[in-house]
Amino acid sequence: MMEITICGRGGQGGVTLAKIIASAYFLKGKYVQAFGVYAAERSGAPIQAFARVDDNEITNHNQVQNPDYLIVLDRTLIVPGMDATLKNGGSIIVNTPDDNTDYKELFPGREVATIDATSIAVSNGLGTRTVPIVNTTMAGAVARVLDLSLMDLLAGLEHLNFAGTNKTCAREAYKMVRSQKIPGEIVKPPEVTSKPRVADLFDDDVGGMPKIKTGSWATRKPERRQLTPPCNHVCPAGNDVQGFVAAVGKENYDKALGIILETSPLPAICGRVCPAPCMETCNRAEYDTSVNVREIERAAAELGVRTAPNRSSRQEKVAVVGSGPAGLSTAYQLAKLGYPVSLYEAGDELGGVMRTGIPAYRLPRDVLDEEIDYILQYDIAPHTGCQLRREDMLRLSREYQAVFVATGLQNVSDLDLGNSASAEPVQGLHFLEQVRQGNQRLDGQRVIVIGGGNTAMDAARSALRIGASEVRVVYRRTRSEMPAIHEEIEQALEEGIILDELVAPVSLTDSDEGPLLTCQGMVLGPPDASGRPRPVADTSPEARFNLRCDLVILALGQSHDISILPEGSVIKEGEALLGLSGAPFFMGGDFATNAGTVSAAIGCGVRAARHIHRTLSGEDLFPPPEEPVASAEAIKFQRFEHLPPEKVNTLSPAERRRCFDEVHLGFQAGPDGTGAVGEALRCLSCGVCNSCDRCLEYCPEGILRQGSEEEGYYFDLEYCKGCGVCMTACPRGAIYMTNL
Amino acid sequence: MSRSLATGNHAAGHALALAGEANRNARGCCAGAYPITPQTEIIEYLSGFPFSKGRIVLVESEHSAMGVCIGAALSGARTFTASSSNGLAYMTENIFAAGYYRLPTVMIAVNRTLGPPWNIWVDQGDSLMMRDAAWMQFYCDSHQDLQDTVLMAFRVAEDKRVMLPVIVAMDGFVTSHTQMVVDEPTQEQVDAFLPECVIPHKLKHDHPSTFGGMTWPSETEHHRWEIQHSMENAMTVLEEARDEFEKIFGRRPAGALEAFETEDAETIFIACNTMARTLRNVVIERRKKGEKIGMIRSKLFRPFPRKELLEAIGPAKRVAVLDRNHSPGSGGIFWQEVAATLSHDPDMLLQDYLVGLGGGDVTPENINAIIDDMSERTTASDPEWKDDTA
Repeated sequence: MMEITICGRGGQGGVTLAKIIASAYFLKGKYVQAFGVYAAERSGAPIQAFARVDDNEITNHNQVQNPDYLIVLDRTLIVPGMDATLKNGGSIIVNTPDDNTDYKELFPGREVATIDATSIAVSNGLGTRTVPIVNTTMAGAVARVLDLSLMDLLAGLEHLNFAGTNKTCAREAYKMVRSQKIPGEIVKPPEVTSKPRVADLFDDDVGGMPKIKTGSWATRKPERRQLTPPCNHVCPAGNDVQGFVAAVGKENYDKALGIILETSPLPAICGRVCPAPCMETCNRAEYDTSVNVREIERAAAELGVRTAPNRSSRQEKVAVVGSGPAGLSTAYQLAKLGYPVSLYEAGDELGGVMRTGIPAYRLPRDVLDEEIDYILQYDIAPHTGCQLRREDMLRLSREYQAVFVATGLQNVSDLDLGNSASAEPVQGLHFLEQVRQGNQRLDGQRVIVIGGGNTAMDAARSALRIGASEVRVVYRRTRSEMPAIHEEIEQALEEGIILDELVAPVSLTDSDEGPLLTCQGMVLGPPDASGRPRPVADTSPEARFNLRCDLVILALGQSHDISILPEGSVIKEGEALLGLSGAPFFMGGDFATNAGTVSAAIGCGVRAARHIHRTLSGEDLFPPPEEPVASAEAIKFQRFEHLPPEKVNTLSPAERRRCFDEVHLGFQAGPDGTGAVGEALRCLSCGVCNSCDRCLEYCPEGILRQGSEEEGYYFDLEYCKGCGVCMTACPRGAIYMTNL
Repeated sequence: MSRSLATGNHAAGHALALAGEANRNARGCCAGAYPITPQTEIIEYLSGFPFSKGRIVLVESEHSAMGVCIGAALSGARTFTASSSNGLAYMTENIFAAGYYRLPTVMIAVNRTLGPPWNIWVDQGDSLMMRDAAWMQFYCDSHQDLQDTVLMAFRVAEDKRVMLPVIVAMDGFVTSHTQMVVDEPTQEQVDAFLPECVIPHKLKHDHPSTFGGMTWPSETEHHRWEIQHSMENAMTVLEEARDEFEKIFGRRPAGALEAFETEDAETIFIACNTMARTLRNVVIERRKKGEKIGMIRSKLFRPFPRKELLEAIGPAKRVAVLDRNHSPGSGGIFWQEVAATLSHDPDMLLQDYLVGLGGGDVTPENINAIIDDMSERTTASDPEWKDDTA
């Protein structure tokens, strides 16, 4: 009987090699046996396999003790005396790039065959350098040493469905294997001394980490990463949304507010009026409902303590023209960097459109005043009532080292509806300013607002609050195309405002009963340049009709007034205008972008301040490119409990439609912040480790450790086998595996 | 018949599949299937077999796997499954149900040590745990024996005189994962060997009935007596099946046990599974030196073949049992059975050896050490452990 022992590592295919040898002899009519020593081992662990070949039935089933051939698939497994149990006259076949004379000292008196199976296998794409799959290649070398013909070997491979590359490698090894008798005396097997004692259950020395550094078995290793949560990715202000929500979840409102104040000085405002794209992209929406980030931000602003402002520390002065959100944001960021700032405002009070355009029921005046007061604690000198013209701007460029212009949208779009003596249409923004000043009542009147944006909604809802008996919003397209914040439309309808979709105004005329707005019904046509469907006139006769009204408000959008800039200026956010003497000009806010939201203006300000700072100091404060976004696919939703959103208080439609009290009143759970904490704990922390300990608990090797708070988890790579359970266990995609 | 190379698992899976397919013109076949090392390859093999009329039902646990077999058998199908170790432990409640319902399911038990401590290697404690479940139990020593015994098992189990389920056991890894040469039967041969599966007490549309309801002690006792009687019938049916098998396949599978060199033996060693083959090799070697020793390969554990064992032992007064299983607080489980069989004989020296527990490699040296120990004995002692571990 011929007996063969194979020593290799898990993944190299040692058991299959035994089966290849067995198959080749089986096909020659021999009795064979092939088996491995199985255990719960992983790739890279030392393994043994055996084969027996005989002319008669094989009846012993124990492991091979004295092999005729010893096959070594990985030379790192070679230890002195390894050949001790080999029969006299037995041979050794080693996978090694070295010439076989290297084994003079290790295998004296033995016939040693060598083959660089790893190179042959890897160059043919079988496995990797770390775990080469050498079984079929070694089969070629073994067959040659066993005096099997190449044909018998290939038949054995085919019997196990090996073809192509595997056969190529086997052929190559068959040709290339070299055998040599090493001079010297065979080393006698050492006498078996006493076996190591097996520990009793109650021995003190049982337990602890294994002494085997299993990290050497790994073919890949875990690494931590931080992805960009989708909320952070889309926040127009550039807020670290996930960061401040996590801080609120830990009831650390000061830290949460501090995180927001890094990027935005207006959290109480954004916590009320932001359209919150973060909530639209929130991965939690894929699971139940998105986290109410807007209300959490508001809570952080209410409950956190603001950091004390710093004083200016630099010589370069900067002028900021316009005190809307973009101007305030820029002034704030520059002041934080130590620049003394002069802030110019055409109106009597700071705040721009936040003061004149957003009604108090959405943004109470005291909230606005408090946030502006905080900004003004920095080294910012406000100059209200300054309507600057082109020549003033040129003056500023001489007096300051940089000028930032964010004067918003001062030109309003008009619409000629003909002549009506009794009902001259008014502009929405003008109307809102009148309402703000308390100069207007509309008791019992019928009001029509033309437009579909936020100004239209604000004008309509304000008209209701100053006594109008009926308010209609007339819009050319349908509700789904309206640019207004959807929640605003919803609330307007709740309050009883009538929305006439697919209606375009034609003319405003007087009649005996009062002014009449003649309207044209529309239908949606193919998309226009904005991508929205173009409204076209409905040609049916009943499509033209009249609406009785007392007041028509136009809210058709605004555009910027560039007459204050030097002639030929090109508006581009953040870009300095070339060809000017004096200080560089920077633009931002709606003036440059027409983005139309407070949060976008805040983001503009952050970037403008960085531009200005880089221009003045040479220091680049722009953040490095963002990490990839943690999409919903990265989140293992099944690991999370369903949690209903925290309820928020709102004034009922009946309560709010006749007053300017704030509609939103924060979380129901009350002013102690518990509602905010509950809501913040719904955050999945997408792509950002929040030390949930799942990886720690699931690591089957116990090699994941919790370091300090900054350090987070770390992996003991001496013992990590690279199983990847931590990656699978991480519910938020913050662990990934890399190949070694 | 074709000669091929197969692992023990594939040999067993192939026999199950051919037997299931052989019932295609009757009610077909069905298996509840759940994987566990080292029997998973059997389930894989069955799942890939193109049955004409049969279903492999993948379930969520071993308990349900046996539940599927029970349900399918009650509807008249030929049923089979496979499990190991802790899987068998989890299946136990339904294993007893199948036995006492008298449903002729055939189960391959790939013997694996019951944990803890966790261990995947061979030890017969798992199937021997089912000692009292009213199942017949065969222990197979080779791939060929295994494949033949699976086919025999269906024939005996489904015989109306028996109508009891059967466990066919093999050594985990040593048999299950070792590739060896087997002569595989053809479908035609199996069709000829296995009659259609007829389960007389299956559920019938036109004659509704229930199973396993409450019975009085006298009725339960009667059911137990019936089962005992059927176990005894099994010995006759087994012999008939061997005859029939030999006619069709041209070889005669082992029956309840196999005696070797026992006629003039003074000392007889008893073992089962692959260990018995190693023992046989050692007996051959020592016979050459003139030692009057013999061996008995124990194959059938339930019913326990008392009569056949006594005959095989003959006049010998020294018997040793090699057990690869252990009942804590007693000793080897085969030893207990042999002791009960020999209890009438005050002159008998009966010694138990525990060997290869937890899957230890059993070598000729281990067997020789046991034979040496036995040859010097004048009295029996408590069961001896192979290693001086105690």
